[in-house]
Amino acid sequence: MSIFEYNGSALVAMVGKNCFAIASDRRLGVQLQTVATDFQRIFKIHDKLFVGLSGLATDAQTLYQRLVFRHKLYQLREERDMKPETFASLVSAILYEKRFGPYFCQPVIAGLGDEDKPFICTMDSIGAKELAKDFVVAGTASESLYGACESMFKPDMEPEELFETISQALLSSVDRDCLSGWGGHVYVVTPTEVTERILKGRMD
Amino acid sequence: LASTMTKQQANWSPYDNNGGTCVAIAGADYCVIAADTRMSTGYSILTRDYSKICKLADKCVMASSGFQADVKALQKVLSARHLIYQHQHNKQMSCPAMGQLLSNTLYYKRFFPYYSFNVLGGLDTEGKGCVYTYDAVGSYERVGYSSQGSGATLITPFLDNQLKSPSPLLLPAKDAVTPLSETEAIDLVKTCFASATERDIYTGDKLEIVVLNADGIRREYMELRKD
Repeated sequence: MSIFEYNGSALVAMVGKNCFAIASDRRLGVQLQTVATDFQRIFKIHDKLFVGLSGLATDAQTLYQRLVFRHKLYQLREERDMKPETFASLVSAILYEKRFGPYFCQPVIAGLGDEDKPFICTMDSIGAKELAKDFVVAGTASESLYGACESMFKPDMEPEELFETISQALLSSVDRDCLSGWGGHVYVVTPTEVTERILKGRMD
Repeated sequence: LASTMTKQQANWSPYDNNGGTCVAIAGADYCVIAADTRMSTGYSILTRDYSKICKLADKCVMASSGFQADVKALQKVLSARHLIYQHQHNKQMSCPAMGQLLSNTLYYKRFFPYYSFNVLGGLDTEGKGCVYTYDAVGSYERVGYSSQGSGATLITPFLDNQLKSPSPLLLPAKDAVTPLSETEAIDLVKTCFASATERDIYTGDKLEIVVLNADGIRREYMELRKD
């Protein structure tokens, strides 16, 4: 079994009209045993920037702590929040530092950049960035998520429709993956507000 | 030193994977079976125009992905067995009967399998659509819809979402058939393949759709992305 499949995870981020949504599953497992059903994989960096970390849970938590630390330093020095594009470069650099002993994480970054333009990207465990205009996926359920998102996505969705689409894509995909599931956690972010919702799906 | 203690491994494999994706959806009085027409090996394309679909009986069509040489051999064996059945029983094999035959044929080669991932589609003895899905060694189940091949992991969750098949664990047992009309089912299949083609390198070129209903068998094609 691969180290990326030790804990199990599913992450997806989608772009809408002047908004974005980022969603994850809630299961934390140790191989086949479920250990937690309320595990948080998506973290807020600032009001318009969220990062989701899939893969090995311990590395996800450590990486998150390091990223929050770096962002706080940035805020002290620059007296402003980091732009999502800049944050993505920071994450990429931090991952590449560990090129020959990497963090076993695949991050998904989503934020509103200049003029509140939605920005999403993912990268592999050593920092290779993949920018996308529509959606990005990560985790053990990534292949299923690719299929579901590719069929269900349409450009310029309003926040309510975006929420429905990302939720349906997430739930259908995790239902075909043994290592992710136990509900979902969805954040929909517009320039004015952040809505956090918990989804109830198949609890297995 | 390590080389004397490791298990001996073959440097030649009898199998290859020619890629491709197959889908089948059963309706109240129809069945849709579809597969792409790309045949690959490694990162190369062998041909853009290869049919993975085979008519085994009047009301029974099989689509198979995997190693096409084994698929071809399997199709030959099943066609020959069907011919013998026709000689002995003076009638065509029903789809459930062919379903069982396919399972037995696959298990016959349990210890040197046909590298073939099959979906069997057709009309059962009552004229309702039926789809049977198999693994490489013959384990099978009647379902309302199924997908096999390289794009299956991309398509199946989407079909789950659109068709919401009843769980086999439910009591009383619910029918494994889709409430879609024939045209809706065909459109759904086209959407599935368009999406799978985007994200799966082994799926693309052209989509072949076979529709079985009370009027007979119909074939249609749709172009897919060729990259």
